[in-house]
Amino acid sequence: MNLDPKIPSGPLESKWSTYLRDVKLVSPNNKRKYKIIVVGTGLAGASAAASLAELGYNVLTFCIQDSARRAHSIAAQGGINAAKNYQNDGDSVWRLFYDTIKGGDYRSREANVYRLAENSNHIIDQAVAQGVPFGREYGGLLDNRSFGGAQVSRTFYSRGQTGQQLLLGAYQAMMKEVHSGKIQDFPRQEMLDLVIIDGKARGIITRNLVTGEIQKWEADAVVLCTGGYGNVFYLSTNAKNSNATAAWRCHKRGAVFANPCFVQIHPTCIPVSGDYQSKLTLMSESLRNDGRVWVPRNKGDKRPPNEIPEDERYYYLEERYPSFGNLVPRDVASRSAKLVTDEGLGVGETGLAVYLDFRDAIKRDSREVIEAKYGNLFDMYQNITDENPYEIPMRIFPAVHYTMGGLWVDYDLMSNIPGLFVAGEANYSDHGANRLGASALMQGLSDGYFIIPYTIGDYFAREKLEKISTGHEAFSEAADSVSKLLDKLLVIKGDKTIIEFHRELGKIMWDKVGISRSKEGLESAIVEIRKLRDEFWQNVRVPGDKNYYNKYLEFAFRVADYFELAELMAIDALDRNESCGCHLRDEYQTAEGEAIRNDKDYAFVSAYEFLGVNGKLETKLHKESLNFEFVELKQRSYK
Amino acid sequence: MPSLLEAFQSQVGRKILTGITGVLLVFFIIFHLAGNLAIFGDPDAMNSYSYFLHQFGPLLWIARIGLLLIFVIHAWIGISIWLKKRKARPVDYKVYSSKGGPSKQSLSSRSMAFTGVVLLIFVVFHINTFALGDMGDAMLADGTVVHDVKTLVIDTFQNPLYAFGYTFVMILLGAHLGHGIWSAFTSLTLRSKKASAVIYSIGVIAAIFIAVGFLVIPLYIYFGGGCDAALIHCN
Amino acid sequence: MSDMTINLKIWRQKNTNDSGHFEDYILAGVNEHMSFLEMLDVLNEKLIKEGNDPVEFDYDCREGICGSCNMVINGKAHGPKHKTAACQLHMRTYSDGDTIVIEPPRAGAFPVIKDLVVDRTALDRIIEAGGYISVKTGAAPEANLIPVEQDVSNQAFDYATCIGCGACVAACPNSSASLFTASKLSHLNRLPQGRPERSKRTIAMVEQMEKEGFGDCSNYAECEAVCPVGISISSIAEMRREYMKAIF
Repeated sequence: MNLDPKIPSGPLESKWSTYLRDVKLVSPNNKRKYKIIVVGTGLAGASAAASLAELGYNVLTFCIQDSARRAHSIAAQGGINAAKNYQNDGDSVWRLFYDTIKGGDYRSREANVYRLAENSNHIIDQAVAQGVPFGREYGGLLDNRSFGGAQVSRTFYSRGQTGQQLLLGAYQAMMKEVHSGKIQDFPRQEMLDLVIIDGKARGIITRNLVTGEIQKWEADAVVLCTGGYGNVFYLSTNAKNSNATAAWRCHKRGAVFANPCFVQIHPTCIPVSGDYQSKLTLMSESLRNDGRVWVPRNKGDKRPPNEIPEDERYYYLEERYPSFGNLVPRDVASRSAKLVTDEGLGVGETGLAVYLDFRDAIKRDSREVIEAKYGNLFDMYQNITDENPYEIPMRIFPAVHYTMGGLWVDYDLMSNIPGLFVAGEANYSDHGANRLGASALMQGLSDGYFIIPYTIGDYFAREKLEKISTGHEAFSEAADSVSKLLDKLLVIKGDKTIIEFHRELGKIMWDKVGISRSKEGLESAIVEIRKLRDEFWQNVRVPGDKNYYNKYLEFAFRVADYFELAELMAIDALDRNESCGCHLRDEYQTAEGEAIRNDKDYAFVSAYEFLGVNGKLETKLHKESLNFEFVELKQRSYK
Repeated sequence: MPSLLEAFQSQVGRKILTGITGVLLVFFIIFHLAGNLAIFGDPDAMNSYSYFLHQFGPLLWIARIGLLLIFVIHAWIGISIWLKKRKARPVDYKVYSSKGGPSKQSLSSRSMAFTGVVLLIFVVFHINTFALGDMGDAMLADGTVVHDVKTLVIDTFQNPLYAFGYTFVMILLGAHLGHGIWSAFTSLTLRSKKASAVIYSIGVIAAIFIAVGFLVIPLYIYFGGGCDAALIHCN
Repeated sequence: MSDMTINLKIWRQKNTNDSGHFEDYILAGVNEHMSFLEMLDVLNEKLIKEGNDPVEFDYDCREGICGSCNMVINGKAHGPKHKTAACQLHMRTYSDGDTIVIEPPRAGAFPVIKDLVVDRTALDRIIEAGGYISVKTGAAPEANLIPVEQDVSNQAFDYATCIGCGACVAACPNSSASLFTASKLSHLNRLPQGRPERSKRTIAMVEQMEKEGFGDCSNYAECEAVCPVGISISSIAEMRREYMKAIF
């Protein structure tokens, strides 16, 4: 398999403009002859659908929620980065590019990341024009805040609901095109398979979640914007319905899956309180602008936090990383939290938490100022924990948040299956081994507004696409295989519920494929995953039937896919004998717990081809080597 | 772009019309109340006031028809909103309660349709009793001969059915205005939250004043108050 | 605090055409830190194990922002707490032995799909009618060319924060969607970017709201009381003002 990233030649600064100069166009008259399926209506999906429809393409959008507006992009809190340099603090496209590639621990493509940084400014313009109410200064101009991994203030925000506001902007743009008739919107439809004809992606199979009907949809191209796979871990900050099924089905149809082991564990989430817990809630990284992270210096110090004197508090991030302090990147902050709790310094009932303290910020700036900045986050915290964070420090702990891995794509954001484009968190492209805060919104919108609309035209202009219909046998084959799988799940009628299986799988993943990983741990994880997967197929109990609304059947299908993906994640983590970004291998770290990257042997994207599942997952590893022409690979240091 | 006629049939248009007509009716009611309170004035006050109005001749009729039109529009929209309610929620809640806080749900607001319909029926009776009722003549101090409204009023409220019936309906009027005055302002696009809170209080106080203003008269007369003041024969 | 036992009375309805009924459940072992939806998860696990159909209800983010969850709990949309979505309601609000009645958000424009799950696409169609600023991708001017007063921007945010859950409709005695519609209008109409289309937008959205079969607004303000993000009905007054401006 040839994984050619198709990166334009020439200097980094002119690669994208060269691409745009040479890109093949489709004339306006011809655009209306093409039909494009967009799966998922988060930032990437909604922005792509709106932009494609504006160009004149016929677009079909599908989402699993009851409305396109509910995609999980909506929950992003803190902000979106852009290299506007409104603060005059030395920001530039280059610096945003550099911070992102360094933050990703040099495991992403230079060309993609640079293009992302270039597009960042257009995104802000676009969002403002759509009416996104960003935070503003007294003079009426846009305000910025700081985020981890950067020494400039470049993050634009709408209080603690930036994702919501950007998504509503994209959703509204999309609804505008529904109104114009260029988009047909299908909510409560879940993509369960990809249809490939003559080697090209030509349609999808969906299940109508209301009627249970299996439906066939043909198109000239499919854009997959279905988000990440953090829910493999059962507990994560993802929405309950976020899942990997659409991407995994594409993988099983031949799309190569890249860097599956790169999972971001977000450092500031509300800790787990009990077994019944269904999901974890993030507290925005922006809190680290003003909150100080600490644990008691002495083991077993059970005093209430406010009674622990200053000299007995261990502000471990400030002490270990004096130049970035509390604003170190997410992977470093999460790993540090694990280190101190492993040493027994953790707080709270479970000992699996650290403090995030606003005492000093309130003293410095007043409660009103802190309330204006983070009021809704503080309310959310108090609502969940029943503790007042203005008076008692927050308790936080890392939680699975984002997956940098995803379907492999080239510079055009096209997978190795022609006609299958992948955008947003679903692809692997821009964040390497670790994503910086406020970069996910940027990437989703860059892909959707400013990349896919060009690259898909180029694909249409180059490829001759035969007329097809859903009567083609490839559609019935795919639809049958979906129906069979649903039946197979329904007849098992075992003793254990889907959630019980999922929770067990999540525990294996968190313990052994989580914040830190070891050879032994990963090997045993693989064995345990396989064993549990076999048990799942023999003993799961799926309630109800398939021909009506049945959320547990949806979950069963998704969990079945997680079992395979989980194994791939462990295989990839085991293969990568280095520590980089969020991937920390116990064997590859310094005595102080800093990651040791191995650029000589692992400066590549691991890209897996699916061969089959037969007791174990059969895969073939391909490597896309990462060539760094413009930045010098350095050991990351935030000290 | 809808025509004005269409616009005022839309949900928002209807509500604005309700507000406008509501405010006009409140003005009328205050005006009416001022006239009624003349019963507490000097013996001729009420009849002179009535005479004063009658001097407008055809203008008075135009005003009356206008008033009736306003009243009918107000009632008609109100009733149609109420009728639409069931259609908008064909299956009702088994358990329903207000969440309080900023909610303006109260006995007053929930019973707008009921109090409104009672007022509608009342007005028909009311016009029949007083505007179309048999009146004798009376002579004012300056010798002018006028319709003797005052005697009609006093005679009517000697009847306990009328006296207490009116009192009851006036309580309902107060309830209607308790939500209605504030609601009219909100319908007429009062959007400031602070002003809204102030107007809500003013609305409730005004509603109480208006209701009390009206209902003291039948009670006052029934319990014999009017007789001495009017020097009219009472039982 | 020890675990609680909760009596549940939940609306069960097979599909849109089914007439539906209440079913009673007794759920033991409810922890005070559970969210309301987690309590329902626990109930469903029990039902599944017993071979019964689980209760269907909509949810997704469980952080109070996606607007998926919307159920009427003891007669109140999203339950008893102000500015709190059902997913953010915790069982510590209840005591051992409490009875909780759960119904779907009821409105003719929200047909029941199953149990507590309803179809709220009518709200999407209101946005589709005009709830956007018509700017094409790529056509936007430099962001700081249009200064927006900080106050105006903040107010716009207060309305833009609507999560589209439909609790306003569920709680309104008339099943009106005025707060939903007005909040979008108040967000877009007050921004300089949204000015050019304000009349068209206002008229189109108001018309659509009526077409969907939502009832009239009687200024009960119950919508504001149940709104999980506390949107004020002053937006409705503003909608009327905009509408008047638009038609004259």
